Amino acid sequence: MRAYTTARWIVLAVIGIMVTLLPELSPTYVSSSIALPTLTTGLCAISLTFLSTYGGLVSLAQTGLFGVAGLLAASLAVESHVDPALAGLIGIAAAATAGLLFGALASSSTGTYFLMITLALGEISYYLFSAVPAFGLHEGINAVFPPSWLGDPVRHPTAIYYFILLVAVGFHLLLRYLVRTPFGMALQGVRDDPERMTALGYNVRVHRTLAFALAAAIAGTAGVLAAWTNTRISADSISLGVTIGVLEAAVIGGMYSLEGAWIGAFTLTVLSIYGPAFTDRYATVLGILFLAIVLVSPGGLTGVLTSIDRRVRHALSNQQLPALADRGASEQPRG
Amino acid sequence: MNESIVRLRNLSKSFAGVDAVQAVEMEVTPGERRAVLGPNGAGKTTLFNLIAGAERPTAGAIELFGRDVTNLPAWQRARLGLARTFQTSRVLPGLSVEDNLYVAALGADGGHLRFVANRRDARLRSRARGAAERVGLADRLRSSARDLSHGEQRQLELGIAMVAEPRLLLLDEPAAGLSRAERQLLTQLLLSLDRDVTVMLIEHDMDVALTIAERVTIMHYGRVVLEGTPAEIRADQRVHDIYLGRTYAV
Repeated sequence: MRAYTTARWIVLAVIGIMVTLLPELSPTYVSSSIALPTLTTGLCAISLTFLSTYGGLVSLAQTGLFGVAGLLAASLAVESHVDPALAGLIGIAAAATAGLLFGALASSSTGTYFLMITLALGEISYYLFSAVPAFGLHEGINAVFPPSWLGDPVRHPTAIYYFILLVAVGFHLLLRYLVRTPFGMALQGVRDDPERMTALGYNVRVHRTLAFALAAAIAGTAGVLAAWTNTRISADSISLGVTIGVLEAAVIGGMYSLEGAWIGAFTLTVLSIYGPAFTDRYATVLGILFLAIVLVSPGGLTGVLTSIDRRVRHALSNQQLPALADRGASEQPRG
Repeated sequence: MNESIVRLRNLSKSFAGVDAVQAVEMEVTPGERRAVLGPNGAGKTTLFNLIAGAERPTAGAIELFGRDVTNLPAWQRARLGLARTFQTSRVLPGLSVEDNLYVAALGADGGHLRFVANRRDARLRSRARGAAERVGLADRLRSSARDLSHGEQRQLELGIAMVAEPRLLLLDEPAAGLSRAERQLLTQLLLSLDRDVTVMLIEHDMDVALTIAERVTIMHYGRVVLEGTPAEIRADQRVHDIYLGRTYAV
């Protein structure tokens, strides 16, 4: 068992080292085309996973909020020449404010109704941005660059990779901390039984709305970072297809743990890059994979990994028990 | 004379033409133990839902602790000092026993929008552990609520209501599904409650109900048909008729 635990830690450490040293270990292409989209999609997906895992709310408005921040920040920076960092912060604040509004509208419902309301809000965002010239219509806003201290995101993505990695790790740890705070504990209670929580003195709507605004700020951060790394953003960046893509990432990774968002985003990014090279029916293959995961492991790939880990530990502890029993028998005093 | 803890005036509730509660008048005094009894469909749980704010009345008024709360939402009534249990256990299955009790204490404390835990939380956790001990779950603190047996979930449900240190406790069939031994423990626990807490109780187990209650209200078809001491209720033929399903004009 000890050897297995050590091996497990070694695997995690190797992954950690690879992620940390990725720009040094791999060509620029890997950082800019796989790592950066994984982190920005993962950040959007983790906002969805947080709401779902700890609030019991599956939102389809996260890409809409991603767009509110990304498109506003891009427009301010490119059209109004606002400093990109300040424009990004304004965009994130706008996404959080929109999240408060969206949350207030949707928070009295749950389940399918919540899903439908947030889908409608996401679609309203999409159609709004596609119709307003200031946001570039369907052509979008081009030449969106990050602050100069983050360098060129296409040719020299090292600085922006580390910056986004830091933001991603920061948000992940923040969410893990948050769920143990009084607010987070109460949010989990609201997820389990809103009526019970109301009877305990909780204003369930306010709680859900605040959680939604927090998730909106995270999705908004993803939107700003995605605009910087792609150097462009358009209304099509928040279309229904993208909304479903983020949901797929969250489900494939696993909706019951925050880690699932990163695993799902990585899987989806790799599949979307390499999948079409192997088959013309990439979308069908992705659909089958999605269906298989939903049916076989509702906990997604994280659920599969957790299950394997549990089985190995169980098998190893079963092996140890007879060995301990044998040792115990051999150590019995002889009469 | 003491101010009433609960005062119901001409309280009615209809669901799609069905009169679940009809013109109920009731007054419960501080520290009183009041049982609300009656056959299934008598309107007892609807009455509790109205008092707790889970349902809005069709007509009439509700006063709690001397204040009109008819239009006050359930969560604000809870903040005034009302706690309740439900007919079927409503514990928080994704949380541990201790976290269930902590969340309940936190709700009454009103500090649940804090994003940083502080000394208040340490006190609330301590209160949660005390409540667990009181309801016999001290050795299950780390267990997930979904892993508890039915009896343990009922114990936790009671702990959740009690940890809030309410002034008014509404217990909806707390003995339902409990074994004989568990019922005895429950009765002892309810008898040991401080007199600062007023208790209203719906219960089908007459032994439990009439041991705890000092006054009993009998409901039938949404109306209050009788009110009296346990001795008066036991002796009244109308109560026997109602429970035996004999026609009784209300």
